[in-house]
Amino acid sequence: MWNQVLTLFQEYMGTGLIVGWFLIALIYLILKEKRKHIRILFLYVPIILLLLFFNPLFAKVLYAFVGNEIYYRILWLIPITVVIAYAAVHLYGTLKGRFRITFACVCGVLIVISGSYIYSNPYFRKAENMYHIPQEVVDICDAIEVEGREVMAVFPAEMLQYVRQYSPVVCMPYGREQTVYRWYVYDELYQVMEAEVIDVPRLAQLAKERACHYIILPKEQEMEGDLLNYDYILFDTIGGYRIYQDTTIYIGL
Amino acid sequence: MVGAIILFLWLFMIPTLVGNIAAAGVDKKEKNLPFLWITGQMLLWAVFQLIAVPLVLTGKPFSTHFKEAISRENPLWTVVTLYLAAAVVLAAAGILFSCRRLRKRKMAFKVIRGFDNKGKWYCILWLFFWLLLIFQMVQAVRMTYADGDDAFYVAVATIAEESNYMYQKLPYTGGTTGLDGRHGLAPFPIWIAFLARISGVPVVTTAHVAVPLALIPMTYGIYYLIGRKICARRNEKLPLFLVLTEILVLFGDYSFYSVENFMIARSRQGKAALGSIIIPMMFFLFLIILERIQENKKVELIWWMLLTAVIMSGCLCSTLGAMLLCMLTGVVGICASVVYRRMKLLVPMALCCIPAVVYAVLYLLLE
Repeated sequence: MWNQVLTLFQEYMGTGLIVGWFLIALIYLILKEKRKHIRILFLYVPIILLLLFFNPLFAKVLYAFVGNEIYYRILWLIPITVVIAYAAVHLYGTLKGRFRITFACVCGVLIVISGSYIYSNPYFRKAENMYHIPQEVVDICDAIEVEGREVMAVFPAEMLQYVRQYSPVVCMPYGREQTVYRWYVYDELYQVMEAEVIDVPRLAQLAKERACHYIILPKEQEMEGDLLNYDYILFDTIGGYRIYQDTTIYIGL
Repeated sequence: MVGAIILFLWLFMIPTLVGNIAAAGVDKKEKNLPFLWITGQMLLWAVFQLIAVPLVLTGKPFSTHFKEAISRENPLWTVVTLYLAAAVVLAAAGILFSCRRLRKRKMAFKVIRGFDNKGKWYCILWLFFWLLLIFQMVQAVRMTYADGDDAFYVAVATIAEESNYMYQKLPYTGGTTGLDGRHGLAPFPIWIAFLARISGVPVVTTAHVAVPLALIPMTYGIYYLIGRKICARRNEKLPLFLVLTEILVLFGDYSFYSVENFMIARSRQGKAALGSIIIPMMFFLFLIILERIQENKKVELIWWMLLTAVIMSGCLCSTLGAMLLCMLTGVVGICASVVYRRMKLLVPMALCCIPAVVYAVLYLLLE
């Protein structure tokens, strides 16, 4: 249990520099802060919460209730940002003249060096539209939607998390759970769709069993066989994707 | 355009009007625009939680068309109609309180005091703060963060808005399922669906663009309120405090789990609001409560009511909110009662946690 908690804390710390500044700020405030109510909230409470976080018995009880995935959120109760900023401002208040401005600038620079710029995170990218959903997903959903009913479509893995944010009438035989390791449940259709070379007869069979009106595949996807030979038509090509429609399943048009 | 104006009203104007109710019971020095806006939103979220959870758990629809509604047994018992009515009543009450105060010439709208005699450095720091805030808001529109959890939370909102079913459809795939009561105890996505329905703006745009545009400045609004309490207000300490918090947030991607990462990257998710809005707001309220105890002043009922409202708002944001906020209240309560040697302090703190305990018990029962 101790090792698990320690690993979680290390992951939360990242490089550890910001948490290091927090600990320094905490020590500074222990020495310098006189107001009791601020000492309670920004010194005693964070210290007690840290002690609780690292307490194996407490961790064991909480793991049982909330699971190990979200135990780290106890650390959200520790006001790291406020404590660091406040300690810096407190020290700033004790300085005089030009030292003050220099100190403020140094604080800013130290934070910049110690942290990691949030917009440089690889998951951030420029939004393609006001939906903040890839434009190809928007166009494909618009193309396959049928007024007054739901449609079932098989999407490649990279689109799974976006489809139903945009369109609740486009249903899928499997969803985002397939892409998350800890929730993974074997799904043959997903395995066939994500294979390097798609086994077309098997894909057609499985998609029909799951009553899928459409199959969406990347243009450059390697395939053994042709979906057009299994009662599918090429419904549309949007961006880098081909949309195949099963002509044997009633779609209500 | 009309949708954007309606969203502005629901995310900024109506909460500010509702905030006048809370402002009526607090000292003049605590009243300012961020206080009105944020406390108003907390009261509205608490009311939303009170309305939405019973309706979700009893399988009521999100909304109904009026023509359908009048032919049903309980015609207007939906989240949209009840919350709309409650918000309008609260906003009207807020206007009444505000008018009464204005008649007494107690103006509330003082955000930043005059820049006279504060020096160039003071002005530069405030300018820098606003530039960084505007930058983050522009980035919230311009950039997108691909987070898999949106496949659940945003989809729940989209389903509710489109089909009127709340937590009765599988968000990932679309199949019908039994009631997902555990997630339904924290119906933050339903609040987003409400905003989308009332404004006509697509849910996905409301979630990814409009909500971050309101919640990111709200976080800094809370830091402003905290800063006013802990820094001297009449010099440059406050703007410096705010600038440093902004830099800490902007460079807070040191870990995937950091609250700063959640705040900027996943603002539309309830758990991000819990970490970056609700928990700092709890600290602000504790600062006021403990300061009053320190000064041997009476802690007025309104502060305890606001604490309860914030705890309920935390339950709206995340099912884990109930546990985390009770834990925080407990630790603060025990520390304060030991330091001030006032065991009685634990009683109101415990009472404020009752709603969270109720939601936690419901969570365990629904397991």
